[in-house]
Amino acid sequence: MHPFGDLSAYLDEALSSEDRTSVQAHLDTCGLCRTRLAELRGTARLIAALPMPVPSRSLVPRVSVPIWLAPLRTFSTFASGAAIFLFIASAILTTFPRAVGTSAGSAAAPAPNTVSAPQASGGAVADSATSDPAKFQASAPSPAPSPATSQERSIQGSSPTPPDASQVGRQDVQPSSSTALAVDGRAQASRNEPGLFVLLSPWLWLALGLLFAALSFIVSRRLRST
Amino acid sequence: MRPDPGGASDALLDRARRGDARAFEQLALEIERPLYRHAARMLGHDDAEDAVQDALLSAWKSLASFEGTSFRAWVFRIVTNRALDKLRARKRRPELPLDPPTESDDSAAWAEPTAPGPELADLAADREALRVVEEALATLPAEQRAVLLLRDVEGFAYEEIATITSTEVGTVKSRIHRGRLAVRNILVSRGWKGSAG
Repeated sequence: MHPFGDLSAYLDEALSSEDRTSVQAHLDTCGLCRTRLAELRGTARLIAALPMPVPSRSLVPRVSVPIWLAPLRTFSTFASGAAIFLFIASAILTTFPRAVGTSAGSAAAPAPNTVSAPQASGGAVADSATSDPAKFQASAPSPAPSPATSQERSIQGSSPTPPDASQVGRQDVQPSSSTALAVDGRAQASRNEPGLFVLLSPWLWLALGLLFAALSFIVSRRLRST
Repeated sequence: MRPDPGGASDALLDRARRGDARAFEQLALEIERPLYRHAARMLGHDDAEDAVQDALLSAWKSLASFEGTSFRAWVFRIVTNRALDKLRARKRRPELPLDPPTESDDSAAWAEPTAPGPELADLAADREALRVVEEALATLPAEQRAVLLLRDVEGFAYEEIATITSTEVGTVKSRIHRGRLAVRNILVSRGWKGSAG
């Protein structure tokens, strides 16, 4: 009787030594069983040669990554985008009123520069405020007219006219003046609401945007690493 | 017999058992592709990815209770069980048991070649033959297919397959033989000569 049922186990060397010896003895004398054995060996080789399917994603769970890391990446990415948006918006808001005041040829245009005079109470703040648009203009294009140009005009208009300082002083007394608001909203904010002025600073939002972008990048790399 | 990558990673396994998540990830990474290969041939692509991911996560959660020595065999057991559970849940062929009773192995039919063709032993690189083999595997009862893949593709020993599938070694031996014979018969029915002479 042919030991067909043992041929696969014989092929896989999974028979006991006694059974193996018995099957081997039969194979030595049976051409049919040798043929069947060769067929099974060929079939096993074909099964083993099947192409390797590849998963479309990593299937290893990231158990070494803290559970809060993925939400942190999402948050920092969105926060970075929001901060960049606020950077652009605040830059436009802080640049645009000055341009309007200059193009209108207002006599009050020199006001911001006179505020920066040493005797002005908010001089230091105003100094940084007047320098902001120039820096921003140097680093990024703006649809508004060049702040540098408007600054030059302001300086030209203000330097020979000390009495303007007293005029600004009167504006300080009357903050509701529409002329003063139109000329330089930042200057008003710096004197009346320092917190609002900080929020209007483009550099604050640019710094936050870069900070969150860096955080998002670092967290993403951490999540990708194995 | 193929080497067991799990056996070569005893240090990693020890670290993972002590809660080292990175060691576990490295262990899982070593067997990710073979696990997916096995699951994909049992379930198809989409379900296979989920099954492997779930199985690895389950393995991590219960690693402390794992007392065996072969991490690879243990995770293959989890994946195989999940695959068989999914196949049972599909109920695509509810009238058929997963492993229907057949005639005894000695009297199982050996189909004869119907037309001349290349010899099976020379077909390893033949794409058409491989396609036929894939089709043939898909027709096998799930548990028969599982043990045949575990043996011929993954290289597990009969005893390991018995542990993975929670069956007796005799059952494994029978299923492997019947599975190979079924694939061989389908190949022969497609015109292969099927004989090495």
